[in-house]
Amino acid sequence: MALIRIEHVDKSFAARHGSISIMQDISFDVADSDFLAIVGPSGCGKSTLLRLIQGLDKPTGGQIFFRDSPVTSVCTKMAMVFQSFALFPWLTVSQNVAFGLEALGWPPDRIRSQVDRYISVTGLDGFQEAFPRELSGGMRQRVGLARALAVEPSVLLMDEPFSALDPLTAESLREEILQLWRDPELPPDAVLLVSHNIEEAIQLADRIIVLSRRPSHVLADVHVDLPRPRDRKSQAFYDLTDRVYSLITEGGSAPTAPPAANGAAAPQKAL
Amino acid sequence: MPTTYPKCSPTEMQGLLVLLNAHKGSEDVARLADDLDLEIDEILPSLDFASALGLVRVSEGNASFSDLGKRYISSTIRDRKAILRDQLKKTTLFRTLLRALESAPDHRLTDEQLAQLFSLTPAPADASVQNIVNWGRYAELIRYDAEEHVLVAVRHAPPAAKPPAGNRPPPPSTPQGPGAGPAAARKSPPASPPAEQSAASAAA
Repeated sequence: MALIRIEHVDKSFAARHGSISIMQDISFDVADSDFLAIVGPSGCGKSTLLRLIQGLDKPTGGQIFFRDSPVTSVCTKMAMVFQSFALFPWLTVSQNVAFGLEALGWPPDRIRSQVDRYISVTGLDGFQEAFPRELSGGMRQRVGLARALAVEPSVLLMDEPFSALDPLTAESLREEILQLWRDPELPPDAVLLVSHNIEEAIQLADRIIVLSRRPSHVLADVHVDLPRPRDRKSQAFYDLTDRVYSLITEGGSAPTAPPAANGAAAPQKAL
Repeated sequence: MPTTYPKCSPTEMQGLLVLLNAHKGSEDVARLADDLDLEIDEILPSLDFASALGLVRVSEGNASFSDLGKRYISSTIRDRKAILRDQLKKTTLFRTLLRALESAPDHRLTDEQLAQLFSLTPAPADASVQNIVNWGRYAELIRYDAEEHVLVAVRHAPPAAKPPAGNRPPPPSTPQGPGAGPAAARKSPPASPPAEQSAASAAA
């Protein structure tokens, strides 16, 4: 049984003159232990797709299933990590991590032990009473992560979680995400990562769903079989980057338009 | 005595170790930088401090893991912190800082006192102070009150209600001789001084 099934999903938004179609006929499955990345040119609806999967927004057509049940409202077995961290500046680290649990109505003593646990596994010990303004970007994103994991989600949704961080900090946190995902004692089972950075997707994911330009459809479902840790300068990594990049630049919905500039697909330097 | 100050955050330094690990644990420094499209001087702070902590060896432009570095990278996030804590305690920087906290009234030091201790410009003019505080907090060697800009030794967590300095209650009755009293707090750290860190990469 697939963990998540996305079946023929369409999404369009009402505009002044009719409606704008964002995505058309998107279908794919997410298996129980998948680390899946969704890539595509900017504006192709990657973030919208994550919101639809979590039930924060409804598809115009088609259906999304979580463990065979249709997602009709916000699914509490999924949690999101945001590019902007989305922390409450007036709450301490502990209070930010507790926030989701309070919203779920957990009793205070269970909240306390759960917060302690996830502060600890994300490396935030020592910062419990700190406010977000005292923290570096990397530590803020750890709070975002601890808050998401504290609800013990089956699925961790990550929307460009590393793109606001400096390169070394991002490298650090990517590896920690992999570590948490692989740990059978810890959530999540599956990770869905939205990224505009193709190299990042290949570095992390087992599978990459490549979306076209708007209105987007699935161009390819690419399996990444490289052993971890993945060497970005290896030939196999380069070949895969090249393949995904070509899919995106050549597989647009409007063949006459020039390929959308994909900011982050950092052009590979000559090897 | 040369003291290496951190010019990076713990998370950044770890990023360098992750990068090195993707290069099978040994790589030319210029290639490491190039992998992230960085200039060499952008990874040097992390490299310097990783080497000061004994996690990485740098020689002739090549960086490689020490045995401890290998252990670090194959450990969980929690265990990595314990390694950092042990290594930080061996540095001149933290030996000095922890001894100062030990002897300070209430085991508290302000940002400014920390800066004076190491002849640094107080933050925010100089990020060094914030970096030291950040590392100490991360490794749980100190606590920090950001409102009052005060560092507190972790082992000497003061009670919630802090009596004003100079009006402290008498120390708990300890079977100590006439030396006991406020001055007795100035005893040397109980731990025997750890092996001197080979602070290879001095602030240079």
